[in-house]
Amino acid sequence: MSVELSRPGVVLNASGLSAGYEGRAIVSDITIEAQPGHVVSVVGPNGSGKSTLLKSLVGVVRVLEGHVTVDGKEITNQTPEHVATLGVGYVPQIDDVFPPLSVKENLEIGGYLLKRGDVASRVEAVLAFFPKLSAMLARRAGKLSGGERKMLAMGRVLMLSPSVLILDEPTANLAPLVATQLLEEYVRGFADAGATVLIVEQRAKAALRISDWTYVLGGGRVVLSGPPKELEQNPVFVDSFLGGGTRR
Amino acid sequence: MSVFMPSFGFGLISAAVLAIAAVGFTMQFAVTNVLNLAYGSIMINSAFVTYWVNRTGVSVWLALFVGVACGAVVSWCLNRFIYTPFQRRNPAAITVVIVSLGVDLIGTFGLQAIISGSDVSYIMSQGRELHILGMDLSVVELIIFAICAVVLVSVRLLLKFSRLGKAMRATAANRSLARNSGVKTDLIVSLTWLISGALCGLAGTVFAIDAGTFGATSAELYVVLILAAVFLGGPGEPYGAMLGALTIGLATEISAAYLTSDYKEVVAFLVLLGMLAFRPFGLFGSEKTS
Ligand SMILES: Nc1ncnc2c1ncn2[C@@H]1O[C@H](COP(=O)(O)OP(=O)(O)O)[C@@H](O)[C@H]1O
Ligand SMILES: [Mg+2]
Repeated sequence: MSVELSRPGVVLNASGLSAGYEGRAIVSDITIEAQPGHVVSVVGPNGSGKSTLLKSLVGVVRVLEGHVTVDGKEITNQTPEHVATLGVGYVPQIDDVFPPLSVKENLEIGGYLLKRGDVASRVEAVLAFFPKLSAMLARRAGKLSGGERKMLAMGRVLMLSPSVLILDEPTANLAPLVATQLLEEYVRGFADAGATVLIVEQRAKAALRISDWTYVLGGGRVVLSGPPKELEQNPVFVDSFLGGGTRR
Repeated sequence: MSVFMPSFGFGLISAAVLAIAAVGFTMQFAVTNVLNLAYGSIMINSAFVTYWVNRTGVSVWLALFVGVACGAVVSWCLNRFIYTPFQRRNPAAITVVIVSLGVDLIGTFGLQAIISGSDVSYIMSQGRELHILGMDLSVVELIIFAICAVVLVSVRLLLKFSRLGKAMRATAANRSLARNSGVKTDLIVSLTWLISGALCGLAGTVFAIDAGTFGATSAELYVVLILAAVFLGGPGEPYGAMLGALTIGLATEISAAYLTSDYKEVVAFLVLLGMLAFRPFGLFGSEKTS
């Protein structure tokens, strides 16, 4: 399994970030970093601002304060279409495909920025990575199952061979087995191939298992962070996220 | 039987004209997210631009291209200088609908004031009458059919096979995700105003050709038929709009032959309501596209 990367070794960085809707901050003073080859996860209760944070990184939500850099280059408040040109792929939590378009057309739109002649071969490469999609190229994306749909959503961003992957709860609504496969095989695989992966994940245990570093969000702020081994020892974290059962 | 086939012929021609208008309208609505009720007034204004060029001695079939260009430019300007600024101040969809209604009235009655209310006709030959399967069709009416066919095939090719067309459909389906994929959706929306505006201008001229004589208010209620055709087929669905236009065109003309043509819009909406009771998202529509 391999993902070709456009520019391996790209660091994603946010510092002192505040962002929100209509000028009102939902997340405040966030400083995070993600390294190439690493999976960095963000966990936290519903409504703590995880999605808002990711959206502010890719230009969907307005940054009010602070900076976002990719590879040392400032991308704060760039348009999403510009961020896409910099090798940053973003899979939103919901509305992650184009439902009326076929699977093939979804992938082609993912490769919109490629040279015309390169699109077909890149579609082949992505299909080799998600072979299940090959059998349903003509199907409307809106008709896919939850797991197929997520694969398509990830396939769409892989079209541009991104060096940074930002994934918002990719396992939501997936059956446990499919979720585990997606995280351990694909998400971990992207990082092992050299990509920088930032993932928001509801399943805290599963997230820790594949992560190199984890940030815990609460009320729009980073309340805790560290390598998974360390968080697993932290009683506050264990009580609120791991159900308290795994202590000791 | 004696009224049926001729009215069926009228219905087909009306459907062809309506299909051109409805395909443009549904494309505009789906991609730009604006329900542009001024569509009918842009149609008739474009028809008059064709008329003024035609008056100088240019064949109506050439003057038509000026009408098409007028529809494209006017629609683009309307979005750029009126709809977009209003949207920026108040993003609620209803705002632009109300504004477009105002533009429609200004466009129609502004034109009325300029031409001082008289009805006009293009200088053109209707060509031979042909009798086909009990329908009386003129050469001009067959040309209208041909134009409709060319438009529908071109729109299909554009949306299905071109990079621009796919970007238009992606923008219509999920604008935010299209931007994340690198699509410059503002540009795509601008181009859509030009393309759908061109179809609007074309529909206006073809409508006027079909009508024979026309005035500033001739298309005043036409947007009602367009809306019926578009929502019958499922908004944002070009093939749906086509089928909707066929249904509405036939239903209105055949009912006109048996009742009176005053009920055209009523019949159109009865058909629409009847169908929506069974398929709430239109013939081709799904929850997602509406
Ligand atoms: N489009 C929006 N406009 C205004 N407020 C929003 C919007 N989206 C989310 N919010 C608010 O931002 C807060 C955080 O939401 P979100 O980032 O989705 O949290 P999470 O992903 O952690 O569940 C919530 O209180 C939510 O109500
Ligand atoms: Mg979320």
